[in-house]
Amino acid sequence: MSDGNAMEQLPLPTSLAEVEALIRALYQPNPPETISKIQDVLHRLQRSPEGWQLAQSLISHGEDNIRFYAALTLIIKLNRDSTGLSEDDAKNLLENIISWTIQSLADGAGNFVIKKLCTALVTFFMHFSHLWPNCIRHFIHCLDLGRGVPVDSLDDALPTDVLVSKLDRRKLRVAIWFATSFVEEVGKTDMSAPKFIQVHGRLVKNGPDVACLLARGFSPPQDNPNLKTQGEALGCFQAWILYAQRASPIPDLVAPLRQLVGPAINCFADAELFQATAELFSDALGNYSTFFTDEHYATLATLFESPWAAEHYQRLLHGNHQEDGISFGLLLLAYGDAKVHDLMRSVDSRSQRFLESLGGLLAADGYLVGEDSIFVPALEFWSTFIETMIDSTYSDEEEAQAWKPYAEQHLKTVVLNCWRKIQWPPAETFAEWDSTERLAFGDARKDVTDMLQSVFTLEGMSLVSFFVNLFLQALDARSWAELEASAFCLGALSDCISDEAKYDQELSKVFASPFFDLLGQAQGLIPLRLRQTGLALIERYCEYFERNAQYLPNALNLLFAALGDSVLGGPSAKSISTLCSSCRSILTGEAGAFINHYQTIRSSQVLDSLAEERIVLAIASIIQAVKDEDQRLTMFEELSSILKKDFELAVQLNANPGLLNLQHPDFLRGLDLPNPQSASPTEEIALQIALRSMRCLASIAKGMQDVKEYPVDLDGEPQSRNSNSRLAGLQENIMRILVEVQRVFSTSGEVVEIICNIFRAGFSETEPGPFVFPPDAVTDYFVQQRYETPRVGTLLSTACSFVGSLYRGPKAYVPAQLARLLPWVISILQALPEPEADTEISVNGIAFVDRVMSKYPHVLFHPHHAPLLEFFFLFSIKVLDGNEPLPKAAAAEFWANFIPLTQTLPPSSSDSTSSPDHVDLKQTISSAMAHLGPLIARSLVRNVGGHAARSELDKLCEPLKKLVSNCVGAQGWLHAALFADHQQDQQAEGGGGGGGNNGHAERVGPEERMAFLRKIVALRGARATNQVVREFWMACRGANFAYVS
Amino acid sequence: MSLCQNRLQEERKQWRKDHPFGFYARPQKNAQGVLDLKVWECGIPGKEKTIWEGGLFKLVVTFPDEYPTKPPKCKFTPPLFHPNVYPSGTVCLSILNEEEAWKPAITIKQILLGVQDLLNDPNPESPAQAEAYNMFKRDRVQYERRIKQIVRENAAP
Repeated sequence: MSDGNAMEQLPLPTSLAEVEALIRALYQPNPPETISKIQDVLHRLQRSPEGWQLAQSLISHGEDNIRFYAALTLIIKLNRDSTGLSEDDAKNLLENIISWTIQSLADGAGNFVIKKLCTALVTFFMHFSHLWPNCIRHFIHCLDLGRGVPVDSLDDALPTDVLVSKLDRRKLRVAIWFATSFVEEVGKTDMSAPKFIQVHGRLVKNGPDVACLLARGFSPPQDNPNLKTQGEALGCFQAWILYAQRASPIPDLVAPLRQLVGPAINCFADAELFQATAELFSDALGNYSTFFTDEHYATLATLFESPWAAEHYQRLLHGNHQEDGISFGLLLLAYGDAKVHDLMRSVDSRSQRFLESLGGLLAADGYLVGEDSIFVPALEFWSTFIETMIDSTYSDEEEAQAWKPYAEQHLKTVVLNCWRKIQWPPAETFAEWDSTERLAFGDARKDVTDMLQSVFTLEGMSLVSFFVNLFLQALDARSWAELEASAFCLGALSDCISDEAKYDQELSKVFASPFFDLLGQAQGLIPLRLRQTGLALIERYCEYFERNAQYLPNALNLLFAALGDSVLGGPSAKSISTLCSSCRSILTGEAGAFINHYQTIRSSQVLDSLAEERIVLAIASIIQAVKDEDQRLTMFEELSSILKKDFELAVQLNANPGLLNLQHPDFLRGLDLPNPQSASPTEEIALQIALRSMRCLASIAKGMQDVKEYPVDLDGEPQSRNSNSRLAGLQENIMRILVEVQRVFSTSGEVVEIICNIFRAGFSETEPGPFVFPPDAVTDYFVQQRYETPRVGTLLSTACSFVGSLYRGPKAYVPAQLARLLPWVISILQALPEPEADTEISVNGIAFVDRVMSKYPHVLFHPHHAPLLEFFFLFSIKVLDGNEPLPKAAAAEFWANFIPLTQTLPPSSSDSTSSPDHVDLKQTISSAMAHLGPLIARSLVRNVGGHAARSELDKLCEPLKKLVSNCVGAQGWLHAALFADHQQDQQAEGGGGGGGNNGHAERVGPEERMAFLRKIVALRGARATNQVVREFWMACRGANFAYVS
Repeated sequence: MSLCQNRLQEERKQWRKDHPFGFYARPQKNAQGVLDLKVWECGIPGKEKTIWEGGLFKLVVTFPDEYPTKPPKCKFTPPLFHPNVYPSGTVCLSILNEEEAWKPAITIKQILLGVQDLLNDPNPESPAQAEAYNMFKRDRVQYERRIKQIVRENAAP
């Protein structure tokens, strides 16, 4: 009633005439607010005790709208107030509604009124099914009598089939409406809900009566040829099948319904009913194939061989799918799907003919998908068929596979038909399609790809040869669409065959063919689609080119030539990077030529920046494979000097905006789009030039990564690295550029991000290279960065990766770097206004210290670092106490590693476990633990006492378990933490938000807290602790479960 | 056939019949070329009219033996820059969590649509990676630029 309160309510009407006027107004065009006011007042009336009477008074009205409203009122009253009715009242009401329904029919009321009354009857059944168990038979009996009669009188009534046979067609139709609404409405309720179990049970008992009713409904009318009921019977039958399918198999219901299949099949013959009949059977075959018996299937199979079916089939192949629909095709496919196992194994001529007709569905007239809508569903059937074949090939005995040659024959048709279908239409036809049609065409081609890969599993080499031959034939005939389709299908098989040399002989027929010469010729000769597919084919067969290097230069030349093309450029760049990266060692001789290519393209146009990144990556990966170091560095220098000029330009432009010349490609590189909407400020252009070249540099760094792995001598001498002064010079140059760009564009986070990517590319390398900087240089870079540097969190995460890379290298380097980095990392943490102000910083800062601690605890606990550590420990306890999930998880992990440290200490390089240094270290850690233990315990208790989110509990259990199993004082610390609330209450409120220092633990009684403590202590860190913690957390959260979740 | 296999067959059938625009989802093939129904390779397009529009992101969905009692695991390959994607690429989403909103009735279509929704509508309550989460919270402009860059690198064909 909130709407009513918000606006002025209409007064309740005082006479029937007023009510009628309101209903009329409701169905007339009126402003929305008027309608809702009327609705409101009528609702109030319907819900009032007078509602029953209102319905009764209006039901025999002359106007349909008012009658309809009366029926609606009955439904509302039944749903709201049926509990207020006595059994006798209910029985009377039922008789009345039936009488009103029959009377409305006699009066010529609209169908919508009668249907609504049928719904009212169904609503009655839902509430009083026990009073009306045989509702179908009783309703038919009343229809026969022409009025509602008591349910008891049914005992003396004639058998149902006789009653049904006496109904005239109009009454018959109403009975079918009721039977339909009955099963639909009851079907909407939950069959297993106690409230409805009996309702469903009684509905099922009506099954035989419904079968009687529909049997007559399906028979052609003799009395009134204009009043056919087969359409209604079909709809009703479908609703009952659907119900029978959803309910677990109920023989009492399925048996009578099955008798109706024959009469329903007869409806196919009636052109008006064809559509509905086909839908019914497609639906039932698709979803409930066990409903049909062998006899039914045989009848359908015979039907499919009739001249009638032949005519439908021809119309489907050559007709208009938009106008005529594809119901017949879907029916065939649904039958095929239901019987796919049998059809595949049957070699009889009827099955073979049927499969042939399903293969033919892939060859209907018209283009995919806009004109030919049967192709995609037919392909779906064949995909299922092929998968069934694959399963059976692997599971059946060899001798039981007599069916296989037959099935393979069908596959040939299927593959050939698909190859024809996926051919592109002429460009002008394609241009007329809307975007949905275009995308659907592309999707259908993808489906064909999937299907071909499955066929390959069965046919192998012969499928490859099949398409190679089609390719060569189409090439001879210069039939571009066929050629494209052949290349596309060969591309589809690349995932299956490209890494196996046994197919190379076949593939060489394609790659040595004149096709690729044609591709290289001037544009216009070959359609764009074919060029695209041809270039894609090269990329897909990358592994082939590795084995057959003689074809590679030609292929790459083609790709480079396509770089400038607005459509082909992007994909070509991608192909170039894939090919160059995987064939790097055979391309080393081409490095110089490729650099020239790149430079030429750059001087004439602005490439797409992503394409450019891929090209420089490609060239760098070739350079990486050059064996001679001097030659390699020369090539590298040549490539990087191109970018170096960009950096210089960016820096100059930033300092002197007057230099800007947008006619020159070097400056245009700073505008991302070929035609920018609005002119960017010069500083932005300068930054973009720098960023673009930085990204290229990062790509080069990635390209220079070695694909092979070399053993590392962990105990080797650090000096062995970077003995080459030329390399050292190059590295210094790169580092200088990075630092300079960052200095000039000091507010750009992206610059920092890219620098980090460049560093990371070097971290994973084990051999020297231009981006494998000396550790000192990297550390120098890091320690110059301040909290104010943009993306400093990313720098910290890069520092963690750096430590990881140090750990993989010679040990002698490590301690000195760590000793310089640690104060820097902690100084960044110290600069945070609060521990959670920047989660990336806190997470990576904690992770860094954790890494140092795991291998070099003596560096971490060096007396020199004591004040830093003190800060860090308190910092990570605050984080553990906080609300940010990621830092909290990092802190939990840190403490889980810290707590058992005295037991897990790794020996440092020089001393053994009994050395004085080692003993000192142990003591330092133990005394730290004595101070920190109570604080850690308090934070953990607060968290598991309800402060943490449930998903964090497992992570928090780790330090808790370590505490219990490693520390003698743990029980005391935890006890103090669990019972801290008394002290806490007396102190001023402090610390984090939420319920005091032990979270919500005060919500559970002291006994429960004590029991919790005893359990976790007794478990001594075992896995079961997690479950105990979970239960305790739940108890603490109590009713306020949602709080801080 | 096991419950898991049956259900996945059915999922496959339903997906073929009806799948949302621009998505793909297919079981991977094993070395013999036979489909492995328990590992699906999927593609999730960025939603129209969002900064993710135009991107297509590869997701590997792995179904446990206990599926559909237990949810599948969804992993972006390569890992995606997103507040609710772990550094490993695994997606953190309530409908994929057995202890939260997973229900056996949830279909692959619903999962993929759910992940698509998540792209432009991250849940800051359950961050999974610090980098994207932090940038999302602190510097939305930079975050959106980064997403646009990622979309370019993963452009739908």
